[in-house]
Amino acid sequence: MPRRSSLPVTFVVPTLLILLVLSMVPTLYAIIIALQNRELSSPDYSYVWFSNFADLFFDRRFLNAVWVSVKWEFVTVIATMAVAIGLGVLMFEVASPRLRNVYCLLFIIPVLLPRVSAAFVWKFAYHPLYGIATYPYRLLTGGLIFDPLSKPSTALFAVASVDVWQWGLFFAVIVLKLLETLPPQPIEAARLDHAKRWQIHAYVTLPMLKAPLISLMFVKMIESLRSFDLIYVMTRGGPGVATETLDMYAFSQGFIESGKVSYASAMAVLMMIATVITFTMLWKRVQS
Amino acid sequence: MRPGRLIGKTVLAFAGFMAVFPLLWTALNSLKNNVDIITRVPRVVFTPTLANISYILGRDSVMTGLYNSMVACGVAVLIGIVLGLPAAYAVARYPNRWAGDIQFFVLSLRFLPPVAVAIPLMVIWLQFGLYDTLAALIVTYSLLTISVIMWLAIPAFQAVPKEVEEAAFVDGYGAYSVFWKIALPVAARSLIGAVAFSFVLVWNEFLIALMLSSSNAKTLPIVASELSQQGMNVPWGILNASVVLLSLPPLLFLGVLSGFLNSVFRQKKT
Repeated sequence: MPRRSSLPVTFVVPTLLILLVLSMVPTLYAIIIALQNRELSSPDYSYVWFSNFADLFFDRRFLNAVWVSVKWEFVTVIATMAVAIGLGVLMFEVASPRLRNVYCLLFIIPVLLPRVSAAFVWKFAYHPLYGIATYPYRLLTGGLIFDPLSKPSTALFAVASVDVWQWGLFFAVIVLKLLETLPPQPIEAARLDHAKRWQIHAYVTLPMLKAPLISLMFVKMIESLRSFDLIYVMTRGGPGVATETLDMYAFSQGFIESGKVSYASAMAVLMMIATVITFTMLWKRVQS
Repeated sequence: MRPGRLIGKTVLAFAGFMAVFPLLWTALNSLKNNVDIITRVPRVVFTPTLANISYILGRDSVMTGLYNSMVACGVAVLIGIVLGLPAAYAVARYPNRWAGDIQFFVLSLRFLPPVAVAIPLMVIWLQFGLYDTLAALIVTYSLLTISVIMWLAIPAFQAVPKEVEEAAFVDGYGAYSVFWKIALPVAARSLIGAVAFSFVLVWNEFLIALMLSSSNAKTLPIVASELSQQGMNVPWGILNASVVLLSLPPLLFLGVLSGFLNSVFRQKKT
């Protein structure tokens, strides 16, 4: 390659400048708005500095939203990885190459759906009277009503099941492809030692895939934070505040209930700081 | 081992069924009259009707949403291609001490919570008088498309054999014509996958579109979600039809994306 070429500069610099402007302007502006007392209903505002942030810590709905978000992260990430590894290993073990291709195509379909579509599909399916997913329950109990989306104890799991339906199946495809890229020798050696199939995966193949699996988990942790569309369509944060995550609460404070844009922005800024710090630290550890 | 295999196959078949059945059921419901949807026992045999679909396709709000979605996503993806692909090539082929930082910066854009971006952008676009316009949506979406295309295209360009490019340099090609005539065509298959992926992401986007539009610039997901709020009498059939319409464009890319996954993991092997 020729050493002296203007290509790297002309190709990289404009794009990076645009990305920097497009990301830094809203980020800095979010912080500025969070330090003010803007409301949607009036054009006047002044600086109140950190009082929005201070108020947050005495806001029980905010603390609840933090807790719901943490629960949501744990439930969706763990369930997605469990489904992905389980189905990926199963495909690897019992499906013929042709069947694997069929399953791979089928398992990619849910993740391609817009979250709004996926949410509607399952909102119908969970309908207590006419839903297809609640039909077996009605059939077995002779018509009793099961309404998972409006019971506080099950609502979060019902919404999470849709997230896992989308991502778990898709990740299963990736786990299968990862297993297929492994060299066959260690597996055969373990087989010669009379290892059982589950032992081969638990002690040989999955440890060999530790790094890519951790990266997958990392991707899912980031994507799990974008659950707004699912929750907005399926429960709007309800029943009560049972499924109200941070972005849902920020949205309803800022736009539906009171129009407190600055208060919502303070929440969003806290969320941003927490995610950037957590994920940067995790990323550096994954890389090293 | 035999019964174990049988159980495994059954579980897999069930998972495959679960993957598509809910969507197929929705498609089926979109062909039903309301009476056939609202039944205690799900009805498989019914007289099909096209009324829901023609109602959806005949509504101005749906057509505007479809148009807005296509323009906003199309232009944003185009901007992503024009700015993202060359940048990805430069990062992949002209490594310097910034390359790692650039890649991390591009990835870190994905950490930003959408609410944190949408609130200030709403205030900014209001001040510029661009709130509720397609231009505002396109600029916002470009951040997404550029970063996603860059992130996926860097490995795609790295997978192009260096020898091919070096041979072209020896033949007297300049750096730019190597990019145009060698790197782009050789990496084309993976690049199309990356572009398709970014299209699906912005087509499916909801929160930003919801906050940056109020009437003129609503995209299809917003229109679809509003259909559900029409009073007490939920138009189930119509809703199902709108879900199907909204889901079709991303599904068109199913083949491209599964081919993309295959090529990504084949490269890893070598």
